[in-house]
Amino acid sequence: MEPQHGQGVLKSTKFHRWGPCVALIVLCVGFTLAGPRFASMENLRVIAEHSAIPLILAVGMTFVVLQGAIDLSIEGVMAVSSLTVAMLVLNSRTGLDLGLTGVLLALLSGVAIGFVNGIVVARLRVPSFMATLGIWSAASGFAMLLSGGQPPRIHDHMLRAFGLGRTFSVPNVVIVAIVVLALGYVLQNYTRFGRYSMAIGGGEQVARLSGLPVDRYKVLAFVFSGLLAALGGVLGSAQIGLGHIDVGLGQMFATVTAVVIGGTSLSGGRGGVIQSALGTVILAVIADGMIFIGITPELQKAVQGVIILSVSLLATWHLRSRLRITR
Amino acid sequence: MKKRALGIAGSLLFMLAAKIVAAPPLCDKSQIRLVNSMREIAQPYHADLDRGGRLFARWAGLEQRYVLQLNQGDSAKQVSLMRAMLTTNPMCTIFNVEPNADLVVQPMVDAANQSGAWIVTHWAHREGLHPFDGNDQWIAHVAVNSFEAGIAISKLLSDALGGNGGIVALQGRLDTDPARQRFAGLKQVLKSVPNLRLLDQQAANWDRTAAFPIMQTWLARYGNQIRGVWAANDDMALGALEALRAAGLAGRIPVVGVDGIPEAIEAIRKGEMIATVSSDAYYQGSIGLAMGVCVLTGQVPLPKTWPKEKREYYLKLQVITKDNATRYLSDPQATAYAHEWDCANLWSRSMGKAY
Repeated sequence: MEPQHGQGVLKSTKFHRWGPCVALIVLCVGFTLAGPRFASMENLRVIAEHSAIPLILAVGMTFVVLQGAIDLSIEGVMAVSSLTVAMLVLNSRTGLDLGLTGVLLALLSGVAIGFVNGIVVARLRVPSFMATLGIWSAASGFAMLLSGGQPPRIHDHMLRAFGLGRTFSVPNVVIVAIVVLALGYVLQNYTRFGRYSMAIGGGEQVARLSGLPVDRYKVLAFVFSGLLAALGGVLGSAQIGLGHIDVGLGQMFATVTAVVIGGTSLSGGRGGVIQSALGTVILAVIADGMIFIGITPELQKAVQGVIILSVSLLATWHLRSRLRITR
Repeated sequence: MKKRALGIAGSLLFMLAAKIVAAPPLCDKSQIRLVNSMREIAQPYHADLDRGGRLFARWAGLEQRYVLQLNQGDSAKQVSLMRAMLTTNPMCTIFNVEPNADLVVQPMVDAANQSGAWIVTHWAHREGLHPFDGNDQWIAHVAVNSFEAGIAISKLLSDALGGNGGIVALQGRLDTDPARQRFAGLKQVLKSVPNLRLLDQQAANWDRTAAFPIMQTWLARYGNQIRGVWAANDDMALGALEALRAAGLAGRIPVVGVDGIPEAIEAIRKGEMIATVSSDAYYQGSIGLAMGVCVLTGQVPLPKTWPKEKREYYLKLQVITKDNATRYLSDPQATAYAHEWDCANLWSRSMGKAY
């Protein structure tokens, strides 16, 4: 206990860290009381699996948001990577069978789109909101063109088995997500990329004046986000067995929500990948719990909205201060 | 001699009769334009609408006169694309319309009435609107009875389970009419089969990636209580199927859907799904054009003289199961539809009035 401002628990340093955690625990306990099987091993595995792809996306998004920007293009990137991978590995449309090379090329498509995002934002100075919105649309259009009314089915057994399979009873996608999270954590805390991102978000002017290569790190953040979105698209396609333009449908808003619930500030400079990971798990728990306690589909959106609002309030309560600007 | 005179008189009479039944052509055939107006072509359903239209155009020798209009889900654009086409030669233009939304039918019919263009619509329109209420350019509305579709797949699912056990249902977007009607069909069947229990229903918004996690959560919650999966469309059925596959249950739990997309038919052939119903996109993409050509070439009388049930009727749905799946797997030839495109058989798939 080391009260920072001497004003009770809600402002203690510990709560800074634990706000989202408390929210998560409250949700889990609540859902378990309503439906005991919620806490079963099988369901926890399902929740982990549902968190996996959003978590991967959120790690990428975190660095962009830490810099005070936003990446709205991830659904478009996922669509492109989904179709790219589906058309390069053994599939129903093209005669190709590139296997792992196909997967790498699909990831590269994400890198390329991320790079374009970065250049448009950092060099052409288009606000990230507009730039990535445009790229989202363009990427979806390109994916639609690739799809051409015949979504390619993935016949590559290795990829399918990886997407749906488990290793030591842990779903493979969860393992990938954990690796990505670890990578994000290292990048954030032990590399220039992480520290400079924080600095850029905290105050871009200051960062520039102190000689940081701001533009380069901005581009890097978008490239990283693009890469991870492409990875999300590949994993999603491996699961459903299809190159599908809607593979990332709804993921962009979910990712931004997760990042914010976790406590990363949209104005930049505050937060981190662990927080975002917590945010994604919270969202997955809410979605899963709604089905578990049997809320009718007609009401789910409304209830979900209320829960998300309450959770963000609880999770970011400690950030409240008179002088903090929220937008 | 007498016999011959009678014969001549007879054939004269016949020609006269034919003259009355079949009006003189309204357009020179080379002037006829065929327009297929639909949402987009990224989904198999829409791609098949377009293919059906092209198949007909080639069969009718009008391949060069075929136009595809895509509105990308934008209703205003669907109307404005039509208006743009009406600036030249509207009287010989036929629109076969997959409405982007129910509300778009009215402005498109108005545009046809004003310009003299011809229009055939599919699926649904807002209530109280009918081709036979003075909309002379609106040749026909070919409605799809989503309630019947819901009943058909529900019965097949029930039969597969011996009318016994728990099922889960994936609904489409709850604010759409087909979603409501198909689910109403399921509820109707559930009422008549007391031992068939609906464990839970969720909306997966017609979407495969949304259906996948819901099915996984259900498996965690209900485990082996789930004996069958009902989905309001094939895309969601296939999403659920992949979740079943991940749990090693593909092919062991019967799954039904609606639409008849190629992947679903393939899954039925492999025994991983048991049934789907199709409105037959090839047919929907072509029948309106066929009607229009029959009207414009004078092979059938003007639509305003037709009885009501020929101008607004329900389309017969095709039920696809393992028995007939292979027939639907390959791309059809024009010969498969030639009989139905013939001006004498335009209503061969009518299930009766839809008003």
